[in-house]
Amino acid sequence: MSDAYSDKNRFAGQVTFVSERRHELEAQFDRILSEHGAAISRLAFGYETVAGVREELVQDIALAIWQALPHFRGECSERTFVYRIAHNRGLSHVWKRRPPHQPLDDIEESEQPIDPRPHPDEQVAQIDQRVRLMSAIQSLPVAHRQMIVLMLEGLSHAQMAEVLGITENNVGVRLNRARNMLKDALGARA
Amino acid sequence: MIEDRELDAWREQWTSVAKPSASFQRDFQRKVQQRIKRHNRRFVLGNILTVIAFVGILIFAVYMRHQATWMGPGWAISICILVFVAVSLRIWVFRRTWRPEAQSTRAFLELWRKRVEARIRLLRISTYLSIGWLIFCAALMAVNWPIIGQDFRAHPKSWLAMLVVCVLMQPVMLWYGAGWLRRRKQAELHEVKQILNEMDA
Repeated sequence: MSDAYSDKNRFAGQVTFVSERRHELEAQFDRILSEHGAAISRLAFGYETVAGVREELVQDIALAIWQALPHFRGECSERTFVYRIAHNRGLSHVWKRRPPHQPLDDIEESEQPIDPRPHPDEQVAQIDQRVRLMSAIQSLPVAHRQMIVLMLEGLSHAQMAEVLGITENNVGVRLNRARNMLKDALGARA
Repeated sequence: MIEDRELDAWREQWTSVAKPSASFQRDFQRKVQQRIKRHNRRFVLGNILTVIAFVGILIFAVYMRHQATWMGPGWAISICILVFVAVSLRIWVFRRTWRPEAQSTRAFLELWRKRVEARIRLLRISTYLSIGWLIFCAALMAVNWPIIGQDFRAHPKSWLAMLVVCVLMQPVMLWYGAGWLRRRKQAELHEVKQILNEMDA
């Protein structure tokens, strides 16, 4: 009788633990989306130019974060964790997406931001510059594109090394090269 | 502190891309939640279907085992061997090639390359295995022809159906199905290697 009672209690305890853990994960996931949502949308820009497909990609990244979240043990910062997943999902997307590129110059302005409603104070010149920058980034090889996107997101060399899995020295060298390529690409679009 | 105006200008342009409004953010979170639910449902359904398929195969094997014709036990044994070989081969070939996306890009790409190579290897092994299986069955039939011949004459339709399915469909599956998949996987491998080379360059 007492064995059965303790088994029942143990089971109830386990159910409560699982339910609490799930709520914890949901809260963490919501926080991650609100903190890094904009960055994820921007990262998706590096891999997809078409607004509708990009939104799908952003959702894909969010789903991948949700799936990986229970295994996140804090070995790296949460930001690194999110950026790693976003980039890796972006790479898979580049492969799955055929044809891989649509030149950004051909995209209508309404397709530019992930939020389709334009901000009232946005100026035409700013939009042009932004489109030029996006187009130039899109024209870079994937590895260089990643470097540039991480640099623009404001990651330090150490954080970039952590996301990409290379040494900090290597980051410096490659970042320099990627930056020169971006300058050339922007120059060609001027 | 070194001032880098060019970088600051780029960053300003870059961060002005997405400033989602609160309602947009809510809408996005709702869509993601729906997607998670869909994914969970698909996962559960996939597992249920796998179990059903596995049980169905076993029931079919047991049913065939008790058939009056000579090929009944042969079917049952073949199904069991094929299921066992297919599952073992898949587990063996894909060992250490799981693809956690939370790893660094370099590690992710390495695992991706290993996974594609494993898939190509699996396709090659499967092709050889199915050709070997075909030869083995033909040899077995030739050796046992005195018994099989009687059964063939007694149930010609069943035998013909089996021959059409096993002999004719196999080359079609091999040349078109496996060939197409192999070409696709090789293109994927080429792409992954290219990205890895870009990273190393």
